[in-house]
This record gives sequence, C-alpha cells and structure tokens, in this order.
Amino acid sequence: MILTPKMKLLLASGLASLMLMSPALAENMLRISNTEDPKTADAQMTTDLYTLPLNIFDRLVESETTGPGQSSLVPGLAESWEVSADGLTYTFHLRAGVKFHDGAVLSADDVVYTFDRMLNPATKALNTDILTFIAGAEDRLDGKADSVSGLKALDDHTVQITLAQPYAAFLALLAAPGASIYERAFTEAAGDQFGLTPETTNGTGPFILRDYTLNDSQMLEANDDYWRGRPELDRLLVRVVADSETLRMLFESDEIDVLDLDYAPTQTPYFYGSDTWKDQIRSGPRVGIYYYNINQAQKPFDDVRVRKAFQMAIDRQTIVDKNFYGKGKLEDGVMPRGLTCYAPAEPIAYDPAKAKELLAEAGYPDGVDITLSQAANWSQKWSDMNQIVQAQIAAAGFRATIETPDEATFMAARKAGETHNYMQVWSADFNDPDNFFYTFFSESGSKSRAYNNNDPEVFADIVKARGMVDQEARCKLYQDLTARIVGTDAAWVPLFSLDHNYVVQPRVKNFVVPWNGWSDMSYYKVEVE
Amino acid sequence: MLMFALRRILVSIPVLIGITMILFIMLNVVPGDPVALMMKEHASPDVIARVRAQMHLDDPMIVRYFRFLANALQGDLGNSIKLNRPVTDLLLKAFPNTLMLAVCAALVSWVIGIPAGVLSAVRRDSLIDRFFMGFSLLGVSMPVFWSALLLQYIFAMQLRLLPVSGFYGWKYMILPAIVLGWSSAGVIARLTRSSLLEVMRHDYIRTARAKGLRETGVITRHALKNALIPVVTIMAIQVAGLLSGAVITESIFSIPGVGRITVNAISSRDMPLLQGAVLFATVLVILGNLVADILYSVLDPRIRAQMKKDA
Amino acid sequence: MAAPATPATEPETLEDASFLRDTLRAFRKNRMAMVGLAFVVLLVLGAIFAPWVSPHDPYRVALDEQLLPMSHTYWLGTDNFGRDVLTRILYGARISLMVGIVPSLVSLTIGTVLGILSGYLGGKTDFVVMRLADMMIAFPSLLLAMVVMYTLGANLLNIFLALALVGWASVARVVRSQTLALREKEFIEAARANGTARATIMFAHIFPNVVPTLIVLFSLSIPEAIMWESSLSFLGVGVQPPEASWGLLVAKGKEYIFQAPSVAIAPGIAILLTVMAFNFIGDGLRDALDPSMKD
Repeated sequence: MILTPKMKLLLASGLASLMLMSPALAENMLRISNTEDPKTADAQMTTDLYTLPLNIFDRLVESETTGPGQSSLVPGLAESWEVSADGLTYTFHLRAGVKFHDGAVLSADDVVYTFDRMLNPATKALNTDILTFIAGAEDRLDGKADSVSGLKALDDHTVQITLAQPYAAFLALLAAPGASIYERAFTEAAGDQFGLTPETTNGTGPFILRDYTLNDSQMLEANDDYWRGRPELDRLLVRVVADSETLRMLFESDEIDVLDLDYAPTQTPYFYGSDTWKDQIRSGPRVGIYYYNINQAQKPFDDVRVRKAFQMAIDRQTIVDKNFYGKGKLEDGVMPRGLTCYAPAEPIAYDPAKAKELLAEAGYPDGVDITLSQAANWSQKWSDMNQIVQAQIAAAGFRATIETPDEATFMAARKAGETHNYMQVWSADFNDPDNFFYTFFSESGSKSRAYNNNDPEVFADIVKARGMVDQEARCKLYQDLTARIVGTDAAWVPLFSLDHNYVVQPRVKNFVVPWNGWSDMSYYKVEVE
Repeated sequence: MLMFALRRILVSIPVLIGITMILFIMLNVVPGDPVALMMKEHASPDVIARVRAQMHLDDPMIVRYFRFLANALQGDLGNSIKLNRPVTDLLLKAFPNTLMLAVCAALVSWVIGIPAGVLSAVRRDSLIDRFFMGFSLLGVSMPVFWSALLLQYIFAMQLRLLPVSGFYGWKYMILPAIVLGWSSAGVIARLTRSSLLEVMRHDYIRTARAKGLRETGVITRHALKNALIPVVTIMAIQVAGLLSGAVITESIFSIPGVGRITVNAISSRDMPLLQGAVLFATVLVILGNLVADILYSVLDPRIRAQMKKDA
Repeated sequence: MAAPATPATEPETLEDASFLRDTLRAFRKNRMAMVGLAFVVLLVLGAIFAPWVSPHDPYRVALDEQLLPMSHTYWLGTDNFGRDVLTRILYGARISLMVGIVPSLVSLTIGTVLGILSGYLGGKTDFVVMRLADMMIAFPSLLLAMVVMYTLGANLLNIFLALALVGWASVARVVRSQTLALREKEFIEAARANGTARATIMFAHIFPNVVPTLIVLFSLSIPEAIMWESSLSFLGVGVQPPEASWGLLVAKGKEYIFQAPSVAIAPGIAILLTVMAFNFIGDGLRDALDPSMKD
C-alpha cells in the first residue's frame, strides 16, 4: 500500500482543513511506551513491570550502570553500611533529610515497615523471595510471627538486618526494584490501594505519579525536592501500546520519544537501515539468556544422548541472524555474559549429523516424535521461534509437534513438573549467578520449572554457593556447575543473549541502556531538548 | 404505555439471571490456576500456594455463584485478579470512552447509511444506488481489524493527518469512529432503503403524488417520516451492538474502554474481570433492546393501537 | 447482521417444479449473485485442490526467503518464514469455508428443530425455547464466542461450537414465527383434521415450507461466521499457528505491514471478497425465493 506523493497531496489538502496537526509538546516531557499496563506502582505487588517503582521510589542501595552490561552497587537511601565478618548482620546508615513526596522525612522505621509489609501474609506480596533470607522471614510469611525477628531499627537512622544464613547476593537483592522503600504512615493508611492511584502512591524517588489511566498511560512529574537534585525532565509520560506496527507509527509521527525495539523487534532492520534513524539507535547488551527447557521426566529426554542431540540440532546462529537480525550472541552456559562470575563455557556446535548418530545410539535410528510447548497467549516471538526450531531439528530426526495449552494449564502443568520442552528467556533480577542457578536447578526449581534434573550434587552445590563469602571460589563453583549441567548432563539448551536496542528522537539526550538490558529503567538522568 | 414498558422489563429479569448462571458456569469450569498467572515467570511456587489460599479459590462452585450473585446485585463484581481493583470501578471508568466511541460510530453509520438508503431507494438501480449500496456493503464485508489497519496506515502514517492511536481528544476518535461506523452503515442503508420502498408503495404516497406534490417533497415530508421508524428502533439496538463491536476497535486504537478490558481480561485470563465485562455488555444489550421496543411502540401508531387493545 | 427473511407466505414447496424453475431463473438473472457464485465456486475448488494448484508448501520454513516481494515464483510474496502468501491464503480458505459452513449447518439444524417445535407446540415448550433464545441473543455474539473459546481453549472444533452456539437462537426465532403463520393455514388444518401425527405435520408439512427461508438464512450466516472466525483468530482466541486462517494471517502479518504489506493486506482482501460474494448470493437467493421481498 504505497501512495504516490501526488495522491498524498490531494488527500492531505482535502482533509487538512478539517483537522489540526499534532499539538505542540509540553516542554521537557519524555514520552515512552510499554506494551501493557503496569497494574500498580507498588513494587511488592508486581514481578515484571518496574518502570513506575524505579522512578517513584528509591532503594537502600542502587545498582548503577557503569558501562555496557556492567554495574556496581552504589549507596541509595543508605549512605553507608557494614557487614559483619560472619556475613549475617548488615547495618545500614540512612541518609539524613530525605523526604517523601508527601513531605514526611524518611526514618529507619519506614525501612523496617516496608520489609515487614512485604513479608506480612496479609499483603499477599509477590516479591517475597527477595527478603526470605532475613532471619524470621519464613515465620512471618507463614503467619507464625507478628514481626520479623531479623529486622531492627537501631535508631532513627540505622537499620540492622540479620540473615538466617549468609547469603552472598543479599546486597544485590536490596537493589532490586522489589526492595523499594515506602513510608509507614502513608502506606498503612492507603491499605490495599497503595500504588493503584496517584493519591495512594508516595515515595522518595525522582518522579511523582500524577496521573494514571488504566490501559492508557501514566504521567509522572519531577520531584523538585529530590535528594540527589531535581531530575532533568519535567515530566515522563508512559503510554500503553501493544502492537509493534502501531508503536512504529507513533514513533515516526513523533508521538513517542523512545522506541524500545523489544516491543517492535520486527522493525529492527528498518531502523538500522534508515538514514534518518540509524544514528539514533542506542544499543547495549543485556544480562539475560534465551534457553530451551528440557524435561527429563518426558521420554525420550530421559536419555542424555537425546538431550545432547537436541542441543546440537538447533541452528542457533541462524535464528539470531534471521529472526533477530544478527543483534545478539550465542550463549553456551547457564550464565549469560554480563553476569557476575560469567566465563565463556564450552561451545555447543550445530551438528545435525552428529545429533542423528546420537539419536540412533539412543535407540531412535528412524527419528523420534517429540512435543514442544508454549502457552497460547505468549507473544508471536515464541511461536515464530518454535516453528523455526521445529523445522531445524527435523534434519536430526526430531519430529516435533508444537502444543499450545492456555497459560493457566501450562503453568499448572509446569508447577507439577509435567510440561514438554519449552523455550523462554530469563533476565537477571539482580546481578548474581544465584538468580539463575537457584531458579532453574535447585531442588525446588528443577521440579517446578519442569527440568527434573535430579542431580543431588548439583542441588547441594547450589545451596552451598549461596553462602560462600570467597567470591573467587564461588565463581569457580558456578563455572563448574555450568560444565556439569550444560555439558555432562545436557540438562538445558542455552541459546543466545540479545542486545537491547532502542531508537530515540534526536531531542533525547543522555539515554543509557541499563546494565541488565531491561526495558524498565530509571529516567532520572535522561534529558530532552 | 407504562404497563408495556414494565412488562418488558419484568421479562428481562429471568433472562438476566439465566445469563449470569451460564456465564458463571462457563467461566468457572476453566482449568488452571489463576494465581500462578498473576505472577508469571518470576514467582516461586511457595508464594503461589500462599496467595491462592488467601483468595477463597477453593470453595465449591455453587457457594461461589451465590456469593457472586448477591454481590453483583449490590454492584460489586469482585476484584480483578490482575489489576487488583474492583471490577465495577474499572468498568465504570472505561465505559464513557466506549460510549463515546459507540455514539460517534453510530453517527458515522447514520451519516453514511441513511442518505445511502434514501438515495438508492429513490434512484433505484441507478448508478448512485449501486455506488452507495456498494459502499455500505463494502463496510459490512470488511473485517474491522483490517480496515482499521489500512486507515491507520494511510491517514496516520502516510498523510500524518490523524493520530495513530490512544485517546487524548476528539481527533483520536475520528479513525476509530469511521472504522466502526462504516461497518454498520450497510445495515442502516439496507434497512432505510427497503423500509422506504415499502412505504412508497402505500396509498397515501400515491395520493400525495397524485395531488401533484413534487417527488422530493413526497419523500422528505411523507415517506421518510414513516420509513425511518424501523430505522430509529434499530439504532437503539445498534448502539448496543456497537458496544461489542468496540472490542476489536478499542484494542487496535488503544482506547481504554470496556472492549479493551474484555480483550485484556481474556489474554491475561482474568476471570472476574471477564465475567464482569461480559455481564456489563449483556445488560447494555438488553437495555438497548428494551429502548428499541419502547421507542417502536411510541413511534408506530399501529403498535400503539395494538397495545391499547392488549392493556 | 443477517437480515431477518420472512418469505413463503404461500404454501408452495421446493418439490414444486415450476417454483424451482422460477427461482433458478430469477437467481440466474441476478448478475451480482452469479458473480458471487462464480467466485465462491473458484474459491472452493482452489481450497480443495490447493496442493495441486500451488507448487508451494504452506508450512515450510525457509528463513533465507523471508518477506520477499511479489514475483513470478511468489505471486503475493512471502511471509516472515519464507512461506508463499498466496498458498497460505488458499489453505486458509479451507478453514474459512469450513468455519462458514459447518457451524452454520449446526445452528440451522438446532434452530429449525427448536423453532418448529416451539411454534407448533406452543405452551411450555415455546416459553422455554424462546427464553433460552432471548438469553443467547442478549449475549453480544463476539463476547459469547470469546467466552466459549476462553473456557474450551482455542482450536478449530471449539470455534465450530462457539459459532453454532451464537447462531441458533436467531434461526429459531425466524422459524418459529413462520411456523406460527403456517399453523393456521388450511392445508395444515386439514392434515390435523385427518389425524396426521404431530411429528409428521411438523416435519413433513411445515418443514418443507420453511426451507426457502432456511436457504436464505444459511447463505447469509456463512459470511457472518467467516467474519466471526477471523475476528476471533485476530484476537488470538481462534485458530492457532502454524495453521493458516485468514484472520490469523492478518494478525500475524500486520507486524510486517511496512516491509511487506501484502502479507497482511492480501488475506484481508480474501475475507472481503468472500464475504461480499456470499452476501451477493444470499441477496440473490432471497430475491429469487421470495419475489415479495424484492422491494
């Protein structure tokens, strides 16, 4: 459908008199988009959409992006902290004079309240995982205690947190958006409405929630009294736009300032090829890995030779090149590049002939029927990739059918460890290998994510690594675990990690892709001209 | 008159109760764990089990149905699982946007449909007749999602005349209203046409003609007035129909209305929200039919007489 | 929206040879209807013989032939998997035609049986059936179909079920009102006086007289069903990939509207033409079967 310039002119002149062009933009407003409504600003009540929490609240510590794919933990609301020699006691000294949006001053009691609120079963919080290492957290969650024994306000400015056992990644966890700090009096008064409307949202962060129209947009305004200094932007508008082609139209007609190509992956070649836009692309690696789950409880994947064959039968490079326009790198381990302790793992070669041999050895000389799974409402990206893989592995003798149960059925089956191999992506919630290993290969993860990789030594090592203080030895252990899980056991198929690409309007300055490659980020330092 | 309206309303009540029952049963036999969905990829199994217990999801269905019915009568449709807000609030906040879209679309459909119907009735089998009927038939035959895509592409993307999507003022309403209105213009056009043709066969029109009145006068002053009676009544039904047609239009143009809520409720498997949204739409359809019936009886003298006899 | 057709005021039946001949002649004279019929015949043939008509495999994945423009090899270009768009549309026609016909037949059957029973027997049967129909009609059709798909899961069989469920009530209403009219006719009263069994009266005497209406309803419910299916599939609760239904093709293709417009636009045109063709046929049939309806 292409209109000639003349047709355009005719149509335009006929219609222009009837309609006005887009209104002038408000000064210093950044307009971004998300694919779905965040549902709440309350970071304790969401597990995936963090734009609001990251901009409205602060954490005790923050992970700051120091370079592409690199981060370091920096002081946030806590000015400084000490960790006891046994790794059990953390003492945080709060910054003085930090004010919430409603004018109240931050105190140690607010921090204790915030974490207790998360663990209070009445809150029904979804991010409790972050805090379960604190002594007494499990009792509080189970309703056996009215407070958390490991949480103490020593005075107005000092918070002491005691862990049940040493956990090396605890500080990194406190920088996760879920650990955002709230104000006791305000949040208690808001009850279960906290974070749902501008009136019931209150934080210390650089932006204040001013307007929230469900399924449509959220408007944030600069916090003039922000303790780090007022943000450069006056306002931040987050629009909800689900379709990639709509997003591109919005961006090209200057209704959006930042186009996250994660939300419009199919438009990637266009922007890279466009003279107007190719210099406006901002790109960074992401600490996240695409992978195929393998369920060893389902035949034929109980046989390690079949699993190895499956690893070898997928032409990962072609998928990156054709489906992601070459904007990514192959991954061979459990840890993606950028993660603490990352080291390149033994490469997995694409070798359909070898895969066929392995299948024959395993007793399937004529190939084998398998099933790949994906929930019906997962995005087109997944069904596209599954169809590509289905075609690729046929060469090695895997005759795959793709089943698409609805999401509820899929999740229930997975919880019971009964799904078929499925493809997914995992991005780091916090910069520590535990976030990957524990999630997938701990005793509970291996079952509830349907790996059934019942290797007691792996289970034991993952628990052991959690408490190790010697970082070098700890990293070594994770690298050994990688070799065992991916190499020896062939329990998972690492695929690739993708760059995160954005296109920004020329007026946008200081836009930095966050270390983890998330779509959700703080816009504190971004400017518009 | 009042008796008639009252009786129509009374008949609607068992229909409504039946609908709540069908809806409730259909939505509650769905397998799977809604709580697991609330939390998606990054949630641990312990947390899921804990929240599930807190939500009374394990009560028997009949208990849950009567709780639902009792609450619904008080305007409480429960809480959305995903959005964690009262369903009633969500629907009432979204409804004005949907209503606005439906009304604008209805206007579009009348502006296209009625003249098309009149012209093609008067100039039967002429080129104008063919053109207008073809144009409105095109509207009926085009899938809304497809025409929306084309119009977006042409007017927003290529010509930059109208905003692509969202809802921040009247300009944003133009494309969605055209897309949705065009799709039902054909119905209006056909009805106007056949109704006008029927009326024009009647004696009084022949009389008027015989008296030497000009054709335009005959049509506008005499025929159209009567011919539009069925058209007016279908308008009331049509508004309700447009409300459900808004489902697709709203999702394509990102209009935060009831239709968008419904689609989101399905894709996120938010059962209470879906239940509330469908019930809400159904009540609107029933109301639309009610208004149509009453309107018809007020406008059409024959029915009015019939009612007097009945009462 | 199916226009309610209420023809057949005379007790003529289809067996009546002259009636049949007149109908056919009237239909044949309707040019638009004949064009529609020709299109549908071509489409049906194309769908049935798709593997022979097209040299391409609709499910093949060839990533190095992604999104090719229109060419001699690929008349309408290729999609993001390198599959021939025209072939996908031909295979999609199978689904769309099936979805048009199967649920319409089911809802027609249910609607006819219930409509005749309700109209002829009256009383409690009538009350129950009509209240049920009221309920179904009060449900906005698309929403009802969506709820059914939500409950039963997204696949072709469930689309049949959902659409049949949506369609029967309006059929029942029309058939009932015709039955009510026919009941008072002399030939029915005569049959009743002769002591003919009720079932015989209903299905041997009344039914044949409803058939012309049913044919019109059928022809008009096909495009409607095709439209519903494409909407459901577009919204993601209908046919699932890699199957090719037209609605799904548009939904999946719209992402590539800038690079390869034909991927999304062509299946939309297929829906448009098919729906129009069936509407022409339906109109032609109505005019032919019931001259009184023709203006």
